[in-house]
Amino acid sequence: MFCMAIIAIAAAIASLTGIGAALGMSHATSKAVESIARQPEAAGKISSSLMFGLIMMETCAIYSLFVAILLIGKIA
Amino acid sequence: MPEISITPHHIAFFGFEVGASVVMGSFVVLLLVILCVLINLRVRRFQEKPTGIQNLIELAVESVYQFSKGKVGHNADFCAPMVLTLMTFIATATLVELFGLPPATEDLSCTLALGFTTFLLVNVTALREFGLLRRIRRMASPAFFVLPIRMMTDLVAPVSMALRLFINVMVGGIVMKLIYSAIPLVLPAAVSVYFNLIHVAIQTFVFGLLTLNYTMEATE
Repeated sequence: MFCMAIIAIAAAIASLTGIGAALGMSHATSKAVESIARQPEAAGKISSSLMFGLIMMETCAIYSLFVAILLIGKIA
Repeated sequence: MPEISITPHHIAFFGFEVGASVVMGSFVVLLLVILCVLINLRVRRFQEKPTGIQNLIELAVESVYQFSKGKVGHNADFCAPMVLTLMTFIATATLVELFGLPPATEDLSCTLALGFTTFLLVNVTALREFGLLRRIRRMASPAFFVLPIRMMTDLVAPVSMALRLFINVMVGGIVMKLIYSAIPLVLPAAVSVYFNLIHVAIQTFVFGLLTLNYTMEATE
């Protein structure tokens, strides 16, 4: 019973990674929007770099989601 | 409360068991081959001014070709067909979830095979351009200790691409199962616009983009 409780708490702690991912993505997007507003003709390159950064940040959040689902499958 | 499992389920097939993704992958390939045969019957010979179906084909091929030309330059003749094939397979194999069938990319084996294809594409392109000795010398270029770091990055990158695609598709399936068992009336249709259409578009684009990026890094 104690084991099941610890596994549930571990799954909840593993989901806290979303905070870091969301904060990082919002920071990057705000800087990208600012730089597009400063120089609209470079919008294509800025969008490509922003997308590439967002992909990398999203991957970290996805890995933590995977760990949480693996842990939930192991309760009892 | 529906049961949630990560391992794929097997289908009994004439005495031995195959995974569901093998059956679904073969089905998707068969579907694409039939589509190509139908298009070939419809468009007998390509015309100078495209009309009808030829417009769509030229749009798809031309956009992928221009996109890869902007990234890998002169290797686009070699890489662009492979990238378009990978993207078409991933898009079709995940879109069959709209018809209730299990998608082939819900299995980690399928996405690892796709990642292995990317690994082969990157290395064959680099070896074709540079040859074995010059490639090793380029990988060890500023100092010698970056050589094992670069080799490990080359091995880990396809695994991360495979995990990204697999987890996105599997989590979409799990959330859809939970919503179907809770409110089966209007909400699944609304939510499945996000999970079955927008996610598919984003993930196929990301797969092609990362394949071209790794090729560009290996051959610049």
